[in-house]
Amino acid sequence: MSAYRKPLPTDDPLMAPFWQNAKARRLSVQSCRDCGDKHFPPGPVCPKCLSEDQEWEPVSGRAALVSWVRFHRAYWDGFVGEVPYDVCLVALEEGPLLVSNFSGPVPDDPKAGTPLEVVFEDVTDTVALPKFRIVA
Amino acid sequence: MNGLKGVAAVIGVGESDYVGDHARVRAGEKPHDSNGYAAVAFKRAIEDAGISRDDIDGLIVGPTVAYERIGEVLGINPTWGGQQDAMLAVIEACMAIKSGLATCVALVYGNDQRSAAVQYGGPEAMGGNMFLSYVYHAPWGFTSQGSLYAMMFRRFSELTGCTERHLGEVAVAQRLAASLNPGALMRKPITLDDYMASPYICAPLHLFDYCLINDGGVALIVCEAEKAKRIAAKKPVAIHGVGRFDLNRGATSLEPRLLDFYRPAQEACAKQVYDMAGVGPEDMDAVQIYDSFSCHIPFALEGYGYCRSGDVGRFMAEEGIALGRKLPVNTGGGHLSHSYMQGWNHQVEAVRQVRGECGARQVEDCRFVHYNSDVAGKAVSIIYGV
Ligand SMILES: [Zn+2]
Repeated sequence: MSAYRKPLPTDDPLMAPFWQNAKARRLSVQSCRDCGDKHFPPGPVCPKCLSEDQEWEPVSGRAALVSWVRFHRAYWDGFVGEVPYDVCLVALEEGPLLVSNFSGPVPDDPKAGTPLEVVFEDVTDTVALPKFRIVA
Repeated sequence: MNGLKGVAAVIGVGESDYVGDHARVRAGEKPHDSNGYAAVAFKRAIEDAGISRDDIDGLIVGPTVAYERIGEVLGINPTWGGQQDAMLAVIEACMAIKSGLATCVALVYGNDQRSAAVQYGGPEAMGGNMFLSYVYHAPWGFTSQGSLYAMMFRRFSELTGCTERHLGEVAVAQRLAASLNPGALMRKPITLDDYMASPYICAPLHLFDYCLINDGGVALIVCEAEKAKRIAAKKPVAIHGVGRFDLNRGATSLEPRLLDFYRPAQEACAKQVYDMAGVGPEDMDAVQIYDSFSCHIPFALEGYGYCRSGDVGRFMAEEGIALGRKLPVNTGGGHLSHSYMQGWNHQVEAVRQVRGECGARQVEDCRFVHYNSDVAGKAVSIIYGV
Protein backbone atom coordinates (compact mmCIF):
# COMPACT_ATOMS: atom_id res chain seq x y z
CA MET A 1 0.00 0.00 0.00
CA SER A 2 3.05 2.29 -0.21
CA ALA A 3 1.90 3.58 -3.60
CA TYR A 4 -1.10 5.44 -2.15
CA ARG A 5 -1.00 8.87 -3.83
CA LYS A 6 -4.03 10.69 -2.44
CA PRO A 7 -3.73 13.21 0.38
CA LEU A 8 -3.40 11.70 3.84
CA PRO A 9 -4.47 13.19 7.18
CA THR A 10 -2.08 15.81 8.54
CA ASP A 11 -0.18 15.36 11.80
CA ASP A 12 -2.69 17.18 13.97
CA PRO A 13 -2.31 16.00 17.60
CA LEU A 14 -5.95 16.84 18.29
CA MET A 15 -7.07 14.49 15.52
CA ALA A 16 -4.79 11.58 16.45
CA PRO A 17 -7.45 9.75 18.52
CA PHE A 18 -9.92 9.98 15.62
CA TRP A 19 -7.49 8.17 13.30
CA GLN A 20 -6.44 5.62 15.93
CA ASN A 21 -10.09 4.79 16.49
CA ALA A 22 -10.75 4.63 12.75
CA LYS A 23 -7.94 2.10 12.31
CA ALA A 24 -9.70 0.02 14.98
CA ARG A 25 -12.99 0.30 13.02
CA ARG A 26 -14.54 2.75 15.45
CA LEU A 27 -16.00 6.08 14.35
CA SER A 28 -15.67 8.69 17.08
CA VAL A 29 -16.21 12.38 17.75
CA GLN A 30 -14.96 14.67 20.48
CA SER A 31 -17.38 14.88 23.37
CA CYS A 32 -17.47 17.30 26.32
CA ARG A 33 -17.37 15.70 29.77
CA ASP A 34 -18.96 18.82 31.28
CA CYS A 35 -21.90 19.58 29.01
CA GLY A 36 -22.08 16.51 26.76
CA ASP A 37 -21.74 18.46 23.50
CA LYS A 38 -20.51 16.30 20.63
CA HIS A 39 -18.51 18.10 17.98
CA PHE A 40 -16.24 17.52 15.01
CA PRO A 41 -13.56 18.52 14.15
CA PRO A 42 -12.05 18.57 17.65
CA GLY A 43 -10.93 21.70 19.44
CA PRO A 44 -8.79 22.56 22.46
CA VAL A 45 -11.96 23.52 24.36
CA CYS A 46 -15.65 22.69 24.00
CA PRO A 47 -17.20 25.18 21.57
CA LYS A 48 -20.42 25.15 23.60
CA CYS A 49 -19.15 25.65 27.19
CA LEU A 50 -15.36 26.25 26.77
CA SER A 51 -14.49 23.30 29.04
CA GLU A 52 -11.07 21.72 28.50
CA ASP A 53 -12.36 18.37 29.75
CA GLN A 54 -12.87 16.57 26.44
CA GLU A 55 -12.90 12.92 25.43
CA TRP A 56 -13.39 10.86 22.27
CA GLU A 57 -16.66 8.97 22.24
CA PRO A 58 -17.60 6.22 19.79
CA VAL A 59 -20.70 6.96 17.70
CA SER A 60 -23.15 4.55 16.09
CA GLY A 61 -21.87 5.00 12.53
CA ARG A 62 -25.44 5.62 11.37
CA ALA A 63 -25.93 8.80 9.37
CA ALA A 64 -28.17 10.58 6.87
CA LEU A 65 -27.07 12.17 3.59
CA VAL A 66 -27.00 15.99 3.62
CA SER A 67 -25.61 16.66 0.14
CA TRP A 68 -23.06 15.42 -2.37
CA VAL A 69 -21.04 16.59 -5.36
CA ARG A 70 -19.32 14.98 -8.33
CA PHE A 71 -15.80 16.17 -9.17
CA HIS A 72 -15.16 16.26 -12.91
CA ARG A 73 -11.73 17.77 -12.38
CA ALA A 74 -8.94 16.49 -10.15
CA TYR A 75 -7.03 18.96 -8.00
CA TRP A 76 -4.64 16.29 -6.69
CA ASP A 77 -2.63 13.87 -8.86
CA GLY A 78 -3.89 10.96 -6.76
CA PHE A 79 -7.47 11.56 -7.90
CA VAL A 80 -6.75 11.91 -11.63
CA GLY A 81 -7.60 8.28 -12.37
CA GLU A 82 -10.92 8.45 -10.51
CA VAL A 83 -12.55 11.45 -12.18
CA PRO A 84 -15.49 11.78 -12.02
CA TYR A 85 -15.63 10.92 -8.32
CA ASP A 86 -18.16 11.78 -5.61
CA VAL A 87 -17.81 13.47 -2.24
CA CYS A 88 -20.67 13.47 0.24
CA LEU A 89 -21.58 15.32 3.41
CA VAL A 90 -23.34 13.23 6.04
CA ALA A 91 -25.05 14.07 9.33
CA LEU A 92 -24.23 11.55 12.04
CA GLU A 93 -27.14 10.27 14.10
CA GLU A 94 -25.41 11.98 17.06
CA GLY A 95 -25.37 15.38 15.31
CA PRO A 96 -21.95 16.30 13.86
CA LEU A 97 -21.47 16.56 10.09
CA LEU A 98 -18.67 14.70 8.27
CA VAL A 99 -17.27 15.05 4.77
CA SER A 100 -16.69 11.62 3.25
CA ASN A 101 -17.10 9.42 0.18
CA PHE A 102 -19.73 6.88 -0.73
CA SER A 103 -18.72 3.25 -0.54
CA GLY A 104 -20.42 0.63 -2.68
CA PRO A 105 -23.28 1.14 -5.13
CA VAL A 106 -24.90 4.58 -5.36
CA PRO A 107 -28.16 5.40 -7.20
CA ASP A 108 -28.16 8.06 -9.95
CA ASP A 109 -29.34 10.91 -7.79
CA PRO A 110 -29.22 10.13 -4.07
CA LYS A 111 -31.49 12.40 -2.08
CA ALA A 112 -30.96 14.25 1.18
CA GLY A 113 -31.95 12.06 4.09
CA THR A 114 -30.84 8.80 2.46
CA PRO A 115 -29.78 6.51 5.34
CA LEU A 116 -26.10 5.57 5.46
CA GLU A 117 -23.73 3.54 7.62
CA VAL A 118 -20.01 3.83 8.09
CA VAL A 119 -17.47 1.44 6.60
CA PHE A 120 -13.70 1.70 6.86
CA GLU A 121 -11.28 1.43 3.97
CA ASP A 122 -7.63 0.77 4.78
CA VAL A 123 -5.60 3.07 2.57
CA THR A 124 -2.16 2.70 4.19
CA ASP A 125 -0.71 0.57 6.98
CA THR A 126 -1.74 3.18 9.52
CA VAL A 127 -4.73 5.00 8.03
CA ALA A 128 -8.29 3.79 7.55
CA LEU A 129 -10.72 6.23 5.97
CA PRO A 130 -14.32 6.21 7.16
CA LYS A 131 -16.71 6.11 4.21
CA PHE A 132 -20.46 5.62 3.98
CA ARG A 133 -22.57 2.89 2.44
CA ILE A 134 -26.18 3.43 1.49
CA VAL A 135 -28.44 1.29 3.67
CA ALA A 136 -30.86 -0.63 1.48
CA MET B 1 -29.06 53.38 14.80
CA ASN B 2 -27.34 55.97 12.64
CA GLY B 3 -23.89 54.44 12.98
CA LEU B 4 -21.94 55.24 9.85
CA LYS B 5 -24.84 56.67 7.82
CA GLY B 6 -23.66 59.45 5.55
CA VAL B 7 -20.32 59.77 7.34
CA ALA B 8 -18.30 59.28 4.17
CA ALA B 9 -18.59 59.20 0.42
CA VAL B 10 -16.68 57.69 -2.46
CA ILE B 11 -15.07 60.45 -4.51
CA GLY B 12 -12.76 58.49 -6.79
CA VAL B 13 -12.50 55.05 -8.37
CA GLY B 14 -9.82 53.47 -10.53
CA GLU B 15 -9.19 50.12 -12.18
CA SER B 16 -6.31 48.69 -14.18
CA ASP B 17 -6.80 47.72 -17.82
CA TYR B 18 -8.24 44.23 -17.28
CA VAL B 19 -8.75 43.49 -20.97
CA GLY B 20 -5.37 44.64 -22.24
CA ASP B 21 -3.45 43.14 -19.35
CA HIS B 22 -5.28 39.82 -19.63
CA ALA B 23 -4.35 39.53 -23.31
CA ARG B 24 -0.72 40.20 -22.44
CA VAL B 25 -0.73 37.68 -19.58
CA ARG B 26 -2.22 35.01 -21.83
CA ALA B 27 0.53 35.76 -24.34
CA GLY B 28 3.07 34.97 -21.64
CA GLU B 29 3.92 38.52 -20.60
CA LYS B 30 3.81 39.95 -17.09
CA PRO B 31 2.50 43.54 -17.33
CA HIS B 32 2.78 44.20 -13.58
CA ASP B 33 3.15 42.49 -10.22
CA SER B 34 0.45 43.04 -7.58
CA ASN B 35 2.03 46.32 -6.44
CA GLY B 36 2.17 47.56 -10.02
CA TYR B 37 -1.52 46.87 -10.63
CA ALA B 38 -2.33 48.62 -7.35
CA ALA B 39 -0.31 51.66 -8.39
CA VAL B 40 -2.06 51.92 -11.77
CA ALA B 41 -5.46 51.79 -10.06
CA PHE B 42 -4.47 54.31 -7.40
CA LYS B 43 -3.27 56.87 -9.94
CA ARG B 44 -6.53 56.50 -11.88
CA ALA B 45 -8.59 56.87 -8.68
CA ILE B 46 -6.99 60.16 -7.58
CA GLU B 47 -7.27 61.44 -11.13
CA ASP B 48 -10.96 60.46 -11.16
CA ALA B 49 -11.43 62.23 -7.80
CA GLY B 50 -9.62 65.30 -9.03
CA ILE B 51 -7.45 65.39 -5.91
CA SER B 52 -3.73 65.15 -5.24
CA ARG B 53 -1.94 62.52 -3.22
CA ASP B 54 -1.43 65.10 -0.47
CA ASP B 55 -5.19 65.17 0.18
CA ILE B 56 -4.97 61.57 1.41
CA ASP B 57 -4.33 60.80 5.09
CA GLY B 58 -5.48 57.18 5.31
CA LEU B 59 -4.40 53.99 3.52
CA ILE B 60 -6.09 50.58 3.61
CA VAL B 61 -4.69 47.89 1.32
CA GLY B 62 -6.19 44.62 0.14
CA PRO B 63 -5.13 41.20 1.43
CA THR B 64 -2.93 40.33 -1.57
CA VAL B 65 -0.37 43.12 -1.12
CA ALA B 66 1.85 44.24 1.76
CA TYR B 67 0.65 47.33 3.62
CA GLU B 68 4.04 48.89 4.24
CA ARG B 69 5.27 48.27 0.71
CA ILE B 70 2.18 49.83 -0.89
CA GLY B 71 2.60 52.87 1.37
CA GLU B 72 6.22 53.07 0.23
CA VAL B 73 5.39 52.55 -3.46
CA LEU B 74 2.70 55.24 -3.40
CA GLY B 75 4.57 57.59 -1.05
CA ILE B 76 1.79 57.77 1.56
CA ASN B 77 2.46 58.37 5.28
CA PRO B 78 -1.06 58.12 6.71
CA THR B 79 -2.56 58.93 10.09
CA TRP B 80 -4.58 55.70 9.77
CA GLY B 81 -3.56 52.52 7.97
CA GLY B 82 -4.68 48.93 7.68
CA GLN B 83 -5.33 45.84 5.59
CA GLN B 84 -8.76 44.44 4.74
CA ASP B 85 -10.78 42.73 2.06
CA ALA B 86 -12.83 44.97 -0.24
CA MET B 87 -16.01 45.26 1.81
CA LEU B 88 -14.31 45.60 5.18
CA ALA B 89 -11.89 48.18 3.73
CA VAL B 90 -14.88 50.39 2.92
CA ILE B 91 -16.31 49.91 6.41
CA GLU B 92 -12.96 50.48 8.13
CA ALA B 93 -12.46 53.69 6.15
CA CYS B 94 -15.87 54.94 7.36
CA MET B 95 -14.96 54.00 10.95
CA ALA B 96 -11.59 55.80 10.75
CA ILE B 97 -13.31 58.88 9.34
CA LYS B 98 -16.14 58.81 11.90
CA SER B 99 -13.62 58.60 14.73
CA GLY B 100 -11.53 61.46 13.38
CA LEU B 101 -8.46 59.31 12.78
CA ALA B 102 -8.48 60.12 9.06
CA THR B 103 -10.42 62.31 6.64
CA CYS B 104 -9.62 60.92 3.20
CA VAL B 105 -8.71 57.26 2.86
CA ALA B 106 -7.24 55.48 -0.18
CA LEU B 107 -8.31 51.83 -0.53
CA VAL B 108 -5.85 50.01 -2.76
CA TYR B 109 -5.84 46.46 -4.15
CA GLY B 110 -3.62 44.66 -6.64
CA ASN B 111 -3.50 40.98 -7.56
CA ASP B 112 -1.31 39.13 -10.07
CA GLN B 113 -3.14 35.87 -9.36
CA ARG B 114 -3.32 34.81 -13.02
CA SER B 115 0.26 35.51 -14.07
CA ALA B 116 1.51 34.11 -10.75
CA ALA B 117 -0.68 30.98 -11.21
CA VAL B 118 -2.33 31.25 -7.78
CA GLN B 119 -4.32 28.08 -7.05
CA TYR B 120 -7.72 28.04 -5.34
CA GLY B 121 -7.95 24.26 -5.06
CA GLY B 122 -5.66 21.31 -4.48
CA PRO B 123 -2.35 20.90 -2.65
CA GLU B 124 -1.05 24.39 -3.48
CA ALA B 125 -4.31 26.19 -2.71
CA MET B 126 -3.80 29.69 -1.45
CA GLY B 127 -4.27 29.78 2.29
CA GLY B 128 -4.78 26.02 2.41
CA ASN B 129 -2.93 25.68 5.69
CA MET B 130 -5.05 28.35 7.28
CA PHE B 131 -8.43 27.13 6.09
CA LEU B 132 -9.13 24.16 8.31
CA SER B 133 -11.62 22.71 5.90
CA TYR B 134 -8.89 21.92 3.40
CA VAL B 135 -6.87 20.09 6.02
CA TYR B 136 -9.74 18.00 7.29
CA HIS B 137 -11.37 17.25 3.98
CA ALA B 138 -8.38 16.49 1.75
CA PRO B 139 -8.26 12.71 2.36
CA TRP B 140 -11.73 12.42 0.77
CA GLY B 141 -10.77 14.63 -2.17
CA PHE B 142 -12.87 17.60 -1.11
CA THR B 143 -10.42 20.40 -1.73
CA SER B 144 -11.68 23.17 -3.97
CA GLN B 145 -13.63 26.34 -3.33
CA GLY B 146 -16.08 25.43 -6.06
CA SER B 147 -16.91 22.08 -4.48
CA LEU B 148 -18.03 23.83 -1.29
CA TYR B 149 -20.54 25.87 -3.29
CA ALA B 150 -21.57 22.86 -5.37
CA MET B 151 -22.37 20.97 -2.15
CA MET B 152 -24.38 23.95 -0.93
CA PHE B 153 -26.30 24.47 -4.17
CA ARG B 154 -27.26 20.77 -4.50
CA ARG B 155 -29.03 20.86 -1.15
CA PHE B 156 -30.55 24.29 -1.76
CA SER B 157 -31.87 23.06 -5.11
CA GLU B 158 -33.39 19.97 -3.54
CA LEU B 159 -35.10 21.97 -0.78
CA THR B 160 -36.35 24.96 -2.84
CA GLY B 161 -36.75 23.71 -6.39
CA CYS B 162 -34.22 26.24 -7.71
CA THR B 163 -32.92 24.11 -10.58
CA GLU B 164 -29.66 24.16 -12.51
CA ARG B 165 -31.49 25.93 -15.33
CA HIS B 166 -32.76 28.55 -12.87
CA LEU B 167 -29.18 29.04 -11.68
CA GLY B 168 -28.12 29.50 -15.29
CA GLU B 169 -30.04 32.80 -15.27
CA VAL B 170 -27.12 34.25 -13.29
CA ALA B 171 -24.39 33.42 -15.80
CA VAL B 172 -26.59 34.48 -18.73
CA ALA B 173 -27.61 37.81 -17.12
CA GLN B 174 -24.08 38.71 -16.08
CA ARG B 175 -22.69 37.85 -19.51
CA LEU B 176 -25.30 40.14 -21.05
CA ALA B 177 -24.11 42.93 -18.72
CA ALA B 178 -20.49 42.21 -19.64
CA SER B 179 -21.34 42.35 -23.33
CA LEU B 180 -22.32 46.00 -22.71
CA ASN B 181 -19.20 46.72 -20.63
CA PRO B 182 -16.06 47.57 -22.66
CA GLY B 183 -13.95 46.85 -19.55
CA ALA B 184 -15.17 43.26 -19.18
CA LEU B 185 -13.13 40.19 -20.05
CA MET B 186 -15.91 37.85 -21.27
CA ARG B 187 -18.24 39.70 -23.63
CA LYS B 188 -19.76 37.07 -25.93
CA PRO B 189 -23.41 36.59 -24.90
CA ILE B 190 -24.53 33.11 -23.86
CA THR B 191 -27.95 31.46 -23.67
CA LEU B 192 -29.48 29.16 -21.09
CA ASP B 193 -28.90 26.31 -23.53
CA ASP B 194 -25.21 27.24 -23.76
CA TYR B 195 -25.11 27.20 -19.99
CA MET B 196 -26.76 23.79 -19.69
CA ALA B 197 -24.41 22.38 -22.34
CA SER B 198 -21.28 23.70 -20.62
CA PRO B 199 -19.22 21.07 -18.84
CA TYR B 200 -19.48 20.35 -15.15
CA ILE B 201 -16.44 21.28 -13.09
CA CYS B 202 -17.87 20.02 -9.81
CA ALA B 203 -21.50 19.00 -10.36
CA PRO B 204 -24.02 20.47 -9.98
CA LEU B 205 -21.91 23.53 -10.90
CA HIS B 206 -20.95 24.14 -14.53
CA LEU B 207 -17.98 25.96 -16.02
CA PHE B 208 -20.08 29.12 -16.37
CA ASP B 209 -20.83 29.11 -12.64
CA TYR B 210 -17.16 29.71 -11.85
CA CYS B 211 -15.46 33.11 -11.66
CA LEU B 212 -12.61 34.19 -13.88
CA ILE B 213 -9.01 34.27 -12.72
CA ASN B 214 -7.22 37.37 -13.97
CA ASP B 215 -4.71 40.02 -12.93
CA GLY B 216 -5.63 43.55 -11.98
CA GLY B 217 -5.87 46.40 -9.52
CA VAL B 218 -8.65 48.52 -8.03
CA ALA B 219 -8.61 51.66 -5.90
CA LEU B 220 -11.27 53.78 -4.23
CA ILE B 221 -11.00 57.12 -2.45
CA VAL B 222 -13.34 57.33 0.56
CA CYS B 223 -13.63 60.83 2.01
CA GLU B 224 -15.41 62.50 4.93
CA ALA B 225 -18.75 63.76 3.57
CA GLU B 226 -18.24 67.52 3.98
CA LYS B 227 -14.64 67.44 2.80
CA ALA B 228 -15.80 65.34 -0.15
CA LYS B 229 -18.06 68.15 -1.32
CA ARG B 230 -15.17 70.61 -1.13
CA ILE B 231 -12.44 68.67 -2.91
CA ALA B 232 -14.04 66.19 -5.29
CA ALA B 233 -14.29 66.84 -9.02
CA LYS B 234 -17.48 64.81 -9.35
CA LYS B 235 -20.59 64.52 -7.18
CA PRO B 236 -19.65 62.26 -4.25
CA VAL B 237 -21.45 58.92 -3.91
CA ALA B 238 -22.69 58.55 -0.35
CA ILE B 239 -22.22 55.48 1.82
CA HIS B 240 -25.65 55.29 3.45
CA GLY B 241 -25.23 52.20 5.55
CA VAL B 242 -23.13 49.14 6.29
CA GLY B 243 -23.78 45.82 7.97
CA ARG B 244 -21.89 42.74 9.07
CA PHE B 245 -22.63 39.44 10.75
CA ASP B 246 -20.41 36.35 10.77
CA LEU B 247 -21.29 32.70 11.33
CA ASN B 248 -18.18 30.89 12.61
CA ARG B 249 -19.59 28.10 14.77
CA GLY B 250 -19.39 24.74 13.04
CA ALA B 251 -17.72 26.32 10.00
CA THR B 252 -15.23 23.53 9.26
CA SER B 253 -17.87 20.81 9.22
CA LEU B 254 -19.95 23.14 7.01
CA GLU B 255 -22.95 23.46 9.35
CA PRO B 256 -23.76 27.15 8.69
CA ARG B 257 -23.16 26.62 4.97
CA LEU B 258 -25.14 23.42 4.40
CA LEU B 259 -27.81 23.56 7.09
CA ASP B 260 -28.56 27.31 7.04
CA PHE B 261 -27.13 28.57 3.71
CA TYR B 262 -25.74 31.44 5.86
CA ARG B 263 -29.28 32.81 6.05
CA PRO B 264 -29.08 33.94 9.72
CA ALA B 265 -25.95 35.99 8.92
CA GLN B 266 -27.58 37.59 5.90
CA GLU B 267 -30.76 38.42 7.81
CA ALA B 268 -28.87 40.02 10.70
CA CYS B 269 -26.66 41.93 8.29
CA ALA B 270 -29.68 43.03 6.23
CA LYS B 271 -31.46 44.43 9.27
CA GLN B 272 -28.35 46.38 10.25
CA VAL B 273 -27.70 47.87 6.83
CA TYR B 274 -31.34 48.68 6.00
CA ASP B 275 -31.95 50.25 9.43
CA MET B 276 -28.79 52.35 9.17
CA ALA B 277 -29.48 53.50 5.63
CA GLY B 278 -33.21 54.04 6.18
CA VAL B 279 -34.03 52.25 2.94
CA GLY B 280 -34.96 48.67 2.09
CA PRO B 281 -34.68 46.20 -0.74
CA GLU B 282 -37.66 47.77 -2.52
CA ASP B 283 -35.64 51.01 -2.84
CA MET B 284 -32.66 49.46 -4.61
CA ASP B 285 -32.17 50.14 -8.31
CA ALA B 286 -29.37 47.60 -8.71
CA VAL B 287 -27.58 45.02 -6.59
CA GLN B 288 -23.94 43.92 -6.65
CA ILE B 289 -23.24 40.52 -5.12
CA TYR B 290 -19.85 38.89 -4.53
CA ASP B 291 -19.89 36.05 -7.06
CA SER B 292 -16.87 33.81 -6.86
CA PHE B 293 -19.59 31.31 -7.85
CA SER B 294 -22.98 32.02 -9.41
CA CYS B 295 -24.97 30.49 -6.56
CA HIS B 296 -24.03 33.38 -4.27
CA ILE B 297 -26.76 35.28 -6.11
CA PRO B 298 -29.82 33.14 -5.28
CA PHE B 299 -28.64 32.71 -1.69
CA ALA B 300 -28.27 36.48 -1.28
CA LEU B 301 -31.52 37.40 -3.04
CA GLU B 302 -33.44 35.33 -0.51
CA GLY B 303 -31.27 36.30 2.46
CA TYR B 304 -31.51 40.05 1.85
CA GLY B 305 -35.25 40.06 1.22
CA TYR B 306 -35.39 40.54 -2.55
CA CYS B 307 -37.80 37.65 -2.94
CA ARG B 308 -39.70 35.25 -0.73
CA SER B 309 -37.77 32.44 0.90
CA GLY B 310 -37.81 29.41 -1.39
CA ASP B 311 -38.97 31.42 -4.41
CA VAL B 312 -35.69 32.56 -5.93
CA GLY B 313 -35.65 30.12 -8.84
CA ARG B 314 -38.97 31.45 -10.11
CA PHE B 315 -37.94 35.04 -9.27
CA MET B 316 -34.77 34.83 -11.37
CA ALA B 317 -36.52 33.17 -14.30
CA GLU B 318 -39.78 35.14 -14.37
CA GLU B 319 -39.03 38.55 -12.89
CA GLY B 320 -35.41 38.61 -13.88
CA ILE B 321 -32.00 39.74 -12.68
CA ALA B 322 -30.63 40.98 -16.02
CA LEU B 323 -30.33 44.61 -17.09
CA GLY B 324 -33.80 45.85 -18.03
CA ARG B 325 -35.59 43.29 -15.85
CA LYS B 326 -37.01 43.58 -12.32
CA LEU B 327 -33.72 43.66 -10.37
CA PRO B 328 -30.44 44.16 -12.27
CA VAL B 329 -27.71 42.18 -10.48
CA ASN B 330 -23.96 42.53 -11.09
CA THR B 331 -24.48 45.14 -13.77
CA GLY B 332 -20.86 45.15 -14.93
CA GLY B 333 -20.67 41.38 -15.39
CA GLY B 334 -19.39 40.53 -11.92
CA HIS B 335 -16.64 38.05 -11.16
CA LEU B 336 -18.10 35.61 -13.68
CA SER B 337 -17.70 37.84 -16.74
CA HIS B 338 -16.19 41.24 -15.87
CA SER B 339 -13.12 40.67 -13.70
CA TYR B 340 -12.27 38.68 -10.57
CA MET B 341 -11.11 41.40 -8.22
CA GLN B 342 -12.44 39.74 -5.04
CA GLY B 343 -15.26 42.20 -4.41
CA TRP B 344 -13.28 45.33 -5.29
CA ASN B 345 -14.67 45.82 -8.80
CA HIS B 346 -18.23 45.50 -7.43
CA GLN B 347 -17.66 48.64 -5.33
CA VAL B 348 -16.48 50.52 -8.41
CA GLU B 349 -19.50 49.36 -10.43
CA ALA B 350 -21.86 50.48 -7.66
CA VAL B 351 -20.27 53.95 -7.60
CA ARG B 352 -20.35 54.31 -11.37
CA GLN B 353 -24.02 53.25 -11.56
CA VAL B 354 -24.99 55.87 -8.97
CA ARG B 355 -22.97 58.47 -10.90
CA GLY B 356 -24.72 57.47 -14.13
CA GLU B 357 -21.43 56.78 -15.92
CA CYS B 358 -22.15 53.28 -17.22
CA GLY B 359 -23.09 53.95 -20.83
CA ALA B 360 -24.91 51.07 -22.52
CA ARG B 361 -25.25 49.14 -19.25
CA GLN B 362 -26.49 52.10 -17.19
CA VAL B 363 -29.50 51.41 -14.96
CA GLU B 364 -31.99 54.20 -15.55
CA ASP B 365 -32.40 56.76 -12.74
CA CYS B 366 -30.11 54.76 -10.47
CA ARG B 367 -30.32 56.20 -6.95
CA PHE B 368 -29.40 53.32 -4.63
CA VAL B 369 -27.12 50.32 -5.18
CA HIS B 370 -26.77 47.56 -2.61
CA TYR B 371 -23.56 45.54 -2.36
CA ASN B 372 -23.41 42.33 -0.37
CA SER B 373 -21.19 39.34 0.15
CA ASP B 374 -21.35 36.19 2.25
CA VAL B 375 -17.92 34.69 1.68
CA ALA B 376 -17.64 31.65 3.96
CA GLY B 377 -20.39 32.93 6.26
CA LYS B 378 -19.02 36.45 6.66
CA ALA B 379 -22.03 38.52 5.60
CA VAL B 380 -21.12 42.11 4.74
CA SER B 381 -23.35 44.72 3.18
CA ILE B 382 -22.97 48.31 1.96
CA ILE B 383 -25.57 50.68 0.51
CA TYR B 384 -24.33 53.36 -1.88
CA GLY B 385 -26.51 56.13 -3.18
CA VAL B 386 -27.05 59.68 -4.27
ZN1 LIG C 1 -19.02 21.58 26.88
